Amino acid sequence: MPAIAVNGLHKSYGPVEAVRGIDLEVETGEVFGLLGPNGAGKTTTVEILEGLRPRTRGKVSVLGLDPALQSREIKNRIGVCLQATNLPDKMQVQEALELFGAFYDRQTDRKQLLERLQLWEKREAFYKSLSGGQKQRVALALALLNDPALLFLDEPTTGLDPQVRLEIHGIIQELKESRRTILITTHYIEEAERLCDRVAIIDAGKIIELGTPREIQERVLGQSIVEISTNEPAPLEQLPEKLRNEKHAARDSGKTLSVQTKSPAAAIVELVKWIEQQGLQLVDIHLKRPTLEDVFIELTGKKLRE
Amino acid sequence: MKPYIAQIRSNLRLMGRDRSVLFFSYLFPLIFFFAFAQSYHARESAAIMAQVIAMVLIIGILGNGFFGAGMRAVQDRETNVLRRFKVAPVGPSPIIVASMVSGLVAFLPSVFLFFFFGTAMYHMPLPRNLLSVIVFVCIGVLAFRSMGMIIAAVANSAQEAGILVQILYLPMLFISGATFPLSMMPRWMQNIAEFLPATYLYQGIQSMMLGGESLARNLVAVGALIVALCVALFVGTKLFRWEKEEKISNQSKLWILGVLSPFLILGLYQAKTQQNVEKAKILARNAARSGSVLFQNAKIFVGDGTVIPNGSVLVRNQKIAQVFTTPPEDPKSLNAEVVDAAGKTLLPGLIDMQVHLDASGGVHSDSGIKRRLAAYLYSGITAVRSTGDPPEIVSKLAQAVNSGAYLGAEVFTGGSNTAYDPGLSALEANIDLETGNPAPLNRSLLQQAAPAGLLKSTRVFLERQKRTTPNLLPLERAKQNLLAACKAGLLLVTGSGAGSMLVIHGPTVQNEMELWVKAGIPPAVALKAATFNAATALHADNRIGLIREGHDATLILLDGDPLQDIANTEHIYLVMFRGERINRPDLFNQDKQ
Repeated sequence: MPAIAVNGLHKSYGPVEAVRGIDLEVETGEVFGLLGPNGAGKTTTVEILEGLRPRTRGKVSVLGLDPALQSREIKNRIGVCLQATNLPDKMQVQEALELFGAFYDRQTDRKQLLERLQLWEKREAFYKSLSGGQKQRVALALALLNDPALLFLDEPTTGLDPQVRLEIHGIIQELKESRRTILITTHYIEEAERLCDRVAIIDAGKIIELGTPREIQERVLGQSIVEISTNEPAPLEQLPEKLRNEKHAARDSGKTLSVQTKSPAAAIVELVKWIEQQGLQLVDIHLKRPTLEDVFIELTGKKLRE
Repeated sequence: MKPYIAQIRSNLRLMGRDRSVLFFSYLFPLIFFFAFAQSYHARESAAIMAQVIAMVLIIGILGNGFFGAGMRAVQDRETNVLRRFKVAPVGPSPIIVASMVSGLVAFLPSVFLFFFFGTAMYHMPLPRNLLSVIVFVCIGVLAFRSMGMIIAAVANSAQEAGILVQILYLPMLFISGATFPLSMMPRWMQNIAEFLPATYLYQGIQSMMLGGESLARNLVAVGALIVALCVALFVGTKLFRWEKEEKISNQSKLWILGVLSPFLILGLYQAKTQQNVEKAKILARNAARSGSVLFQNAKIFVGDGTVIPNGSVLVRNQKIAQVFTTPPEDPKSLNAEVVDAAGKTLLPGLIDMQVHLDASGGVHSDSGIKRRLAAYLYSGITAVRSTGDPPEIVSKLAQAVNSGAYLGAEVFTGGSNTAYDPGLSALEANIDLETGNPAPLNRSLLQQAAPAGLLKSTRVFLERQKRTTPNLLPLERAKQNLLAACKAGLLLVTGSGAGSMLVIHGPTVQNEMELWVKAGIPPAVALKAATFNAATALHADNRIGLIREGHDATLILLDGDPLQDIANTEHIYLVMFRGERINRPDLFNQDKQ
């Protein structure tokens, strides 16, 4: 049984359709990324899964339960790390865990949890005295209190500085190893590429691409770009036939040449050979793989972070 | 149960760490407590202390409810603290219930502090119904916290909540009686106050503490608060929002009125019946009567004929607490306001044994029976015996005077017929009527006490009166009979027959006594007849007519000595009625308040 199964999900707010037919399956143990710009319907979708919002139409099953009917039970079994939540300033870390722990049937060992998240030393610290990264780790700790089978991470690193982001990524990678199903929504392409087994790109309430990050990259653009710079302009018209058939372009008054190709390794060998034949000197060579960002711009015509 | 307990524990812990909670729940009310206690001279009266406690309790409850519960809840939502709870398997109930319970738990110690300081430092006796008071305060705290929660539930931002809080908090603080006595306010403001929950809370606490009433006697206030509490809890749970992004429609804001509806209904009811305005008056009267006063260095006419040449009288809580035949050694230790009575004479309030309240005593009727009772009290006549008046009107009036709702002379009906009442005033009035003599209308005290219009029209009537030769015989015969009765040792009492023509309600007893003295009765005998004897004839001598410990503190203080010149009974320096120093000119403004 998949951890999450969504079929034909619709959600309208009055005349506005926020989600317009989403189909999705997340396997147990999978880390799944949901990407999309603000207002794409990401948050609405996730909140429906978490049992926080009723849906208009469609089938939804989370851990075998229907969030519309069994929201209390689902909340009891999942962990949620929301973005931009806070705790009262003068609440100690351990008190927060104690308080929220009282809401769940299932309890994990709090000491172990704090140690794993490197919060044991900070257990008596007031929430307001914590750094941004520590606060985010506390949020993770609260999401893990009930040892959830399914974890929702909503923008887990938004607003954190790069170093802290790496720290959080490390923790998520550890969680990944414990065979937990994790659903991450994010703005950060690198985050999705780095952490997720599969991603779905949502725009305007629909999934427009779904697959592993690599699959999506290839499916959409299909190609990498080899860029090569020479000391003198290279005669484009004398490009070998193999390369000439690919999409290519020249810049820097012909000194920089870029070729789009499905097999970058072969293309590089060909290009280097050809440049030698032309008696030119190789200045630089560069291989650019398409990123999810490129994919995203290609697909939606918008940037992710707006 | 577990989520509830965890939430309550957590709330209490956070409150304990919050300096502003400590400041507003304890320090701030205590500052008010001592400031009020000092400025209202709480040491001189248990009732004033009780009033001070009621005031600071209201200030505390208002702050606890609107700021402690209301603004706090908004803050938790605005700072995204509540968001975190949204994703846990927990509904709004534990959060709301915990806010109620922890707010109450945090408030109660301050209640005990007030009672502790009140009894330890200001000698206040604990109220008879302490348990009722505490239960009522608890209901009040919960009701006001739930009102705070409703504000939080319907406000879309901290600013909006702030405005709503101010709209409710400030009027409740200033016109519920919590900071200024309700009875001092103009009538229209009192009517507005009847729409405010805090008014009922304040009156409830006050009547339990001052009047010794129980919860059961205050069912209306208790019921209104509980209904508001239940509606607020129900609506608060329904409208609960976890995130500041969730907005609420303007229509839903009307739920505030739903929560306040019991008080809207009560306010309308009160506007019609004025019951509470009456009750507020009575409570204020009780407080005014509860002061401690020491009359020092007075000549005291005890009432039974004995005289203390230089004595002092201590009045406490409506009664004569102590009579000193020599000056008290340390007046300061008595914690009483001192009235220097050197050169003055203190005597029991005068009693008129025969009045007809239903008639004005002049030409044209004046503003009615009520005002006549005020005229008596103004003139130092603190009790009258009504004869031949409609019983239902008289008994209603007697009740109003007894409860303190109205200030006037005490009204008796019935009483012994064995006392001898010569009724000289009425006989003399007959003579004046026949000769058209306006002199009796010129007495200065009567001119102060009686309505000017009545005096004027009576004077005009006298001037037009056809003068005839008067029959002096009945008055002369009555004087002789009086002397004989005096010699025979009959119980003499003063009755003016006021209400009959030319005997106008006011300083009637003074006039009667002067006629007695002219007839040859010694002033001391006349004074005894007007005080102790009259009280005896009314079977009320265990309470009035004497300056004795335990008797009502119903006294008059005269400039000069009436034993030297009976006319001095018209030179009134001060009237005290049941412990209250009467503001005499104010007596005639009672219906305007």
